[in-house]
Amino acid sequence: MTKSRGVKRSKVEAFFRYSLLSFVAFTALVPAYIMFTGSFKSQGEFLNSPFGIPDSPSFAGYQSAWTDNFPNWLTNSFLIVTGAVVMTEILAALAAWGFARFPFNGRETLLGAMVSLMVVPPVVLLIPLFQFGVQLTLISTLRLVILIYVGLMLPFSIYMLTNFFKSIPESILESASIDGASSFRTFRSIVLPLSGAPLATLAVVNLLWAWNELLLALVFLQSNEKKTLMVGITGFQSRYSLDIPTVMAGMSIATLPLVIAYLFGQRFFIAGLTAGSTKGE
Amino acid sequence: MALTFREALRVHGTKENRLDFHLQHADLAQLVAHPTCNRVVRGSSPLVGPKKVVDFILKYVKNWRGAPRQVEPDCRFSPTFQLGGFRRMKSKKVLAIGAMALALLLSACSSSSDETSAEGDKAAFPTEDLTLNISWWGEQEAPGAQKWLEETIALYTKEHPNVTIKHVLQTTDGLIPSFEAAAAAQSGPDIQYFWGGIYTQQPGWDGHIAPISDYLSEEELSHYINAKVEAGFQGKVWTAPWYINPSFPLLVRKDILADNGLSVPTNWDELMKVCDVLSAKKITTIAGGVKDGWFGGWIYSILGGQSVQSQADVINAVVGTTKFTDPEHATWWTKLEESRDRKCWNDDINSLELYQAQQKFVDGTAAMTITAGPDAPNFAKKAGGDEKVTIMAMPAWSDGPLAGKMGTTSQTLGITKWSKYPQVAADFIKFSHTTDRLNAWYAATGSMPADDRFDISQVQSASTKALFESALNGAPYLENFIPAQLDADAVFKNVQLVLKGEVTAAEAAADKQAIMERLRKSDRKLVDNFTAWAK
Amino acid sequence: MKLASRKTATADVTRRQRSAHSSKEALYWIGPAALVILLIFGYSVVSVLISSFRYDGDWVGLENFEIVITDPIFLTALKHNGLLLLAVPVLIILAFILAVTLFETRRGMRFYRSAIFLPYILPIPVVAVVFGQIYQLNGALNIFLRSIGLEPLAQDWLGDPSIALGTMSSVIIWKEVGFGVILMLAHIISLPNETYEAARIDGAGFWRTHLSITRPAILNTIVFYGVIEAITMVSWVFNYVYVMSNGLGGPGNATMVSELYIYRAAFQNKAPELAAVAAVFLFVATLILMVAFFRIQRRSIAGTFNK
Repeated sequence: MTKSRGVKRSKVEAFFRYSLLSFVAFTALVPAYIMFTGSFKSQGEFLNSPFGIPDSPSFAGYQSAWTDNFPNWLTNSFLIVTGAVVMTEILAALAAWGFARFPFNGRETLLGAMVSLMVVPPVVLLIPLFQFGVQLTLISTLRLVILIYVGLMLPFSIYMLTNFFKSIPESILESASIDGASSFRTFRSIVLPLSGAPLATLAVVNLLWAWNELLLALVFLQSNEKKTLMVGITGFQSRYSLDIPTVMAGMSIATLPLVIAYLFGQRFFIAGLTAGSTKGE
Repeated sequence: MALTFREALRVHGTKENRLDFHLQHADLAQLVAHPTCNRVVRGSSPLVGPKKVVDFILKYVKNWRGAPRQVEPDCRFSPTFQLGGFRRMKSKKVLAIGAMALALLLSACSSSSDETSAEGDKAAFPTEDLTLNISWWGEQEAPGAQKWLEETIALYTKEHPNVTIKHVLQTTDGLIPSFEAAAAAQSGPDIQYFWGGIYTQQPGWDGHIAPISDYLSEEELSHYINAKVEAGFQGKVWTAPWYINPSFPLLVRKDILADNGLSVPTNWDELMKVCDVLSAKKITTIAGGVKDGWFGGWIYSILGGQSVQSQADVINAVVGTTKFTDPEHATWWTKLEESRDRKCWNDDINSLELYQAQQKFVDGTAAMTITAGPDAPNFAKKAGGDEKVTIMAMPAWSDGPLAGKMGTTSQTLGITKWSKYPQVAADFIKFSHTTDRLNAWYAATGSMPADDRFDISQVQSASTKALFESALNGAPYLENFIPAQLDADAVFKNVQLVLKGEVTAAEAAADKQAIMERLRKSDRKLVDNFTAWAK
Repeated sequence: MKLASRKTATADVTRRQRSAHSSKEALYWIGPAALVILLIFGYSVVSVLISSFRYDGDWVGLENFEIVITDPIFLTALKHNGLLLLAVPVLIILAFILAVTLFETRRGMRFYRSAIFLPYILPIPVVAVVFGQIYQLNGALNIFLRSIGLEPLAQDWLGDPSIALGTMSSVIIWKEVGFGVILMLAHIISLPNETYEAARIDGAGFWRTHLSITRPAILNTIVFYGVIEAITMVSWVFNYVYVMSNGLGGPGNATMVSELYIYRAAFQNKAPELAAVAAVFLFVATLILMVAFFRIQRRSIAGTFNK
């Protein structure tokens, strides 16, 4: 970033800037710090000195958190997220290509309508889908949850990919069709490989959403073995309200995958989330 | 520079692409066999350039199959056929994916309960292999229950080898929702745990319970404590009491009181004086936590119960014959106010949850607390045993017939309407009431099973014995006789607000009445059901 | 030349034929996704609409609506959603300030940016539980306030009905501001160099520059962020409220929101028809936001298609 800055610099201004940023960064990081250090403390220690470094760090919290049902929950979360993200990628890529490549009447309206569905509160869909699931005895199955997640993630995914596909230069596509490729061929062999980056960022954004989702998993996964991590740790708080280190340990385990992914793949997160708004304006 | 298709494929080609060409080749092979060479219109098809594709195909076919095919290189393809062919192929792919989505949608999982379809004769015990599912709660308030249950299951299945029994311990928040989901699907557990009173009645009214009185004799049921009063409805009994929940004992640290020159209070005014003394010294008198709501319901029951004659009074207010603003229902709010003004409670009662607050008693930072009945002996032990702790009913503030009495309720097990083996379920429940099992319950949990055949003399601890006996002649547990929604919306909420000082006693009572009136409107069946229950 | 004109002719015919075939072909591509969306959204919305007029299978007209509209708890829930919307301007202002501050910072910018964005990726249940502990009457925040002598400021953040909603929104703000910062920062960075030339030459100060230049330049992003967050406040706060208030809606009804009302009506009070009515109301309310969102996106969608 070698842009020239817009403003004359002054020491005072720099002081205020850094103070503000430090304060905000501190506020942003402190809760994670409390959570993480708390997981190694004892109950009493946590209540008395939440900010301090653990006196004699112990893994007891992690032990009781893990043996509760964590492996199950982690597996379920993993399965659901993988299934949902993969399905969404496929369906959204196909649909986005349809929108991007083939002009038809009402294309913009249809796309706009689809994208606006992002606004619908999931709780509105909850009851009819729950009754639907009950009738098909699909409650507490991962399948139904995956399907619903896919439905919820599709609007944004289609929108994002359509934006990108539209930006592929016509020349490549023209040459492909002249050289004798069907649209599917073109899609398969040219477009997809070119879309590596947006597909990755979309996957990351969807992964984030699906991993953190609570309400739908809470309602549709009633049986204890089928719960996802988020549902599990929500019940954690009430079950271990006497053992906060265990709760904190559970929280830490739930967050760790995300934080690690974040630290390594920051640019994907950021790129994916900003893609929708700055393009095309 | 634009890539030619061939180059593009070389750059991006994958194994799947080659497989694709196999499919394409299948179409083309037909074409080759039925040449339509002269129907090409040059440049008219947007999708295919004839010559290049043929060359390409040939090259790949040669490589893939290993042996060159004889294809006329000059053959052209008609655009319509090409279009058709490619559309077919493309639609194949797209349909495959669509079918996958549909498959997800339409596949119904096989029925969750794994019953064999053999039909048992209602009277005779089934001999085929069968499985029973138990969905329950209770380890949370009676630790040791799970061990007991597993032991009971093992013993029962030894006597009945064709029976397999599985059990799932639910969370407090999840008990009812998971049952509702099962009820909606009409499949799930065979034996379900229900809290007493309304929590048994409502599912019964909704038609989800097969009354236990259909399967156990009246004589047997007569031994089950609280069966008729809480689980009875129009002559039948919905569910079978399992263990007693004295509702709710006040645990008192005699030693802390003694250290401050106080003795155990015997009535409300004495309790208030204790609050005065201890709060002046910044000691919490009673530790409580209302953030999660439940404690509010407890307080209602132990304070509000003192001014009614019986549970019938409460039901009258529910159906509208009387009001919750009438004195017998409203006065207790003022007592709650008084306890707040005399600083009886811990200052963080509004931000603590119930179990967290109870810890203060064990830690010694509070002189008293209120616990779940089955858990009281454990708490007493943890805090130092009989020399330090007294277990008693809440001191009386009124002189109603129920004042000073311990509330009593039984937690129950019921048979679900959709169970395929209700008689086996009933038999299991009966088995759990045999003497050996009753004694084992007490040994495992330290709490009292809901059966009057249980021999109290085996109880060693004096405080525990007193607790059990008080629950045998106890007062009805009020919370069980109001609709659950009234409990959550009116009682929990207003206890929180009164303790915070946000509403007055009168406002709380009025709010409860208003909510009850609304409930009568929104739950159309409420009045009828409660009226029928009262009879 | 001949080649070129042939190619153009090809292209013309190509385009004509393409639009003739493209609707059908587009159908194949969009079909599966549309099917899923139709099921999840279409079926649900229609079903909710129908359920709101029925009770136990019988048609009861507007009875359910009457019950819900006169329910003080429902009105409180709507009011709270409205109050939460007040947090959106706060979010926008905070995010803007942070974004321009970051923009002006060279050293350590990456670190600060990472730190500020971290809350956004944390799962809501985790955030809610941890803050639930921090905001206890004797929890971390109050311990800190007491230790620096600000005892009077140490409130019962979660247990006091008059500030509970504010506490809740502080958690939401804490989590959501990072998103806005990233959005705005990305846009600012992509602005061309000349934007700030004039200001630099004139020697304009920090605030003048950014208020008069940056703000209009990234207005689209600001509006986009505002709409997204408004949507969040109305449709996506269930998780926060559920976890932080143990599913009850706060001390009294202080943190009741429409989503929680619907959830309780359906799953705890066993009145799905009332939940359906509330859901209809919520959906209609979000329709307004939907239209706004649609309008914004339509311009950008049309823009990309007509490139």
